[in-house]
Amino acid sequence: MSTKQIIGVFDDEALLLKATQKLKSHGVNIRDIYGPSADHDLIKNLTRESKLPYLSVFTGILTILLTFAFVYYVTVIDYPLHYGGKPVFAFPSLVVVMYLLCILITGAFTTFSFLTSEKMFPGKAPRLVDPRAAIDRFYLVLERNFNPDEITEWLREEGAEEIIEKETEA
Amino acid sequence: MDTRFKPTKKFMLIFAAMILIGLVAVIAGFVSDPARTWPNVLLNNMYFITLSMGALMFYAIQYISGSSWSALIQRIPLAAGAFLPIGFILMLLLYFGLHDIYEWSHPEITETDKLMAHKAPFLNVPFFMIRMVLYFALWVPLFFLLRSMARKEDQIGGEQWYHKSAFYAKVFIFAAVLIFSLASVDWIMTIDAHWYSTMFGFRSMITSMYYGTAIIILLIFLLKRMDFFPQLKEAHRHDLARYLFRFSIVFGYLWFMQFLIIWYANIPESTIYYTPRLHGEWKFFFYAEPIINWAIPFVVVMADDFGRKKPVLIGISALLMIGLWMSLFLQIMPGSYGSLKLGFLEIGIWIGYIGLYLIMVFLCLSGLSIVPKNHPMLDDSIHHHL
Repeated sequence: MSTKQIIGVFDDEALLLKATQKLKSHGVNIRDIYGPSADHDLIKNLTRESKLPYLSVFTGILTILLTFAFVYYVTVIDYPLHYGGKPVFAFPSLVVVMYLLCILITGAFTTFSFLTSEKMFPGKAPRLVDPRAAIDRFYLVLERNFNPDEITEWLREEGAEEIIEKETEA
Repeated sequence: MDTRFKPTKKFMLIFAAMILIGLVAVIAGFVSDPARTWPNVLLNNMYFITLSMGALMFYAIQYISGSSWSALIQRIPLAAGAFLPIGFILMLLLYFGLHDIYEWSHPEITETDKLMAHKAPFLNVPFFMIRMVLYFALWVPLFFLLRSMARKEDQIGGEQWYHKSAFYAKVFIFAAVLIFSLASVDWIMTIDAHWYSTMFGFRSMITSMYYGTAIIILLIFLLKRMDFFPQLKEAHRHDLARYLFRFSIVFGYLWFMQFLIIWYANIPESTIYYTPRLHGEWKFFFYAEPIINWAIPFVVVMADDFGRKKPVLIGISALLMIGLWMSLFLQIMPGSYGSLKLGFLEIGIWIGYIGLYLIMVFLCLSGLSIVPKNHPMLDDSIHHHL
């Protein structure tokens, strides 16, 4: 599905921040912000919230159960062995392994889900709004859920350099 | 905005009442059961010295790392260390109760106990007291030096006080980290003189920074309630919460590693420490300690938006205050008094010490301007954002 989007081009981060706050207060959905540097205040203004942290926590909890099951299978079911006067299911002695397994599985799963959700794969053409986004310009991508003339007016008021209307893959 | 804190009459009355409760508890304790009272005095000394040292380490770290976000609140960690001189006097009083706390302080034990005889050149009463005096002889002057520099920065102004404080902060961090590790081994670990853990000192030092951060958070919000710090924003709370979160991880790691290595090796001379705590009447405290001190703060403060809320931070910090008490209770009591007794004596002495600690903190604060007046990074701190 392709939708039309309005893109405001800014060359100043402070102006961009002010513009995002104003547009947000008007109820415009901010789809994305492209720029050469990251800014926490800008990320907070995005309408689309990343679900990745929740997925990460969920996977983490699942992985803890998984590693417990794994250790239980290895030490109790598959190869029960008493050593050092400890019970068979002596998981604290394997806690380092379990800890690293949790990090590995959760980290790998989060990474791959990020890659899938963003449809990234080797050799994919970059989905940049404009090559200048990697150099010195900030791009504010807005959904057209308002009267486009109104949005354009607001953007111009806030000091946008240029306003582009573009069809993009959603 | 009023930049000076004036302790009101109401405050002083509350603190005086707290100290009175503590005095009643101590006197009642000495009359009825001195063997139970002395370990409690040590526990509370250690508790508030831990808080003071932790807060001062926080203060020093801000100077060493050149942090600008904390300039606004820098007077709080400094004042939170004001208990140190009193702690020194109270630790010296412990001289009269050494026999009730430390097994090695009985001279006749060296005749029957070979290990104690071997350790006697280090663990004897005169040397113990000399070491105690030496530790405080390092800390207390450094604390007064840092405080006088902060005061001069307020009164005279100029950048040189910042640079001087930064230099003495570096001196202090060495004195604090190295000597506090040694001191905790001296005062706490030698209670179980047959046992030792090589990470005990490091663990106590990290613990001190952890709870130092918690008491700073509590004091900041107490002062904010009295309309100080109007500039305190979410960004500052975020940084404080990050401190708590980080130290909770380190605490959990060290707590577990000390246990894990001993549990795994299963050598009688090291398991002697954990056997009564893990299987005896201390069981509840043993399991509650990591839950209160690690699990709850870790999970709650981890959530980015939720963990930065004011009531959450206050709640977690207050919980940690109880956690530190439990942690020290578990470290001190089994080796010294031997049986689990929790009553008015324990709680009363603690309350008395809280009153004394807060009086010292607020007296120190009243001599300083709460927001540093001439701190070179103050503006940066007020406009701090993430």
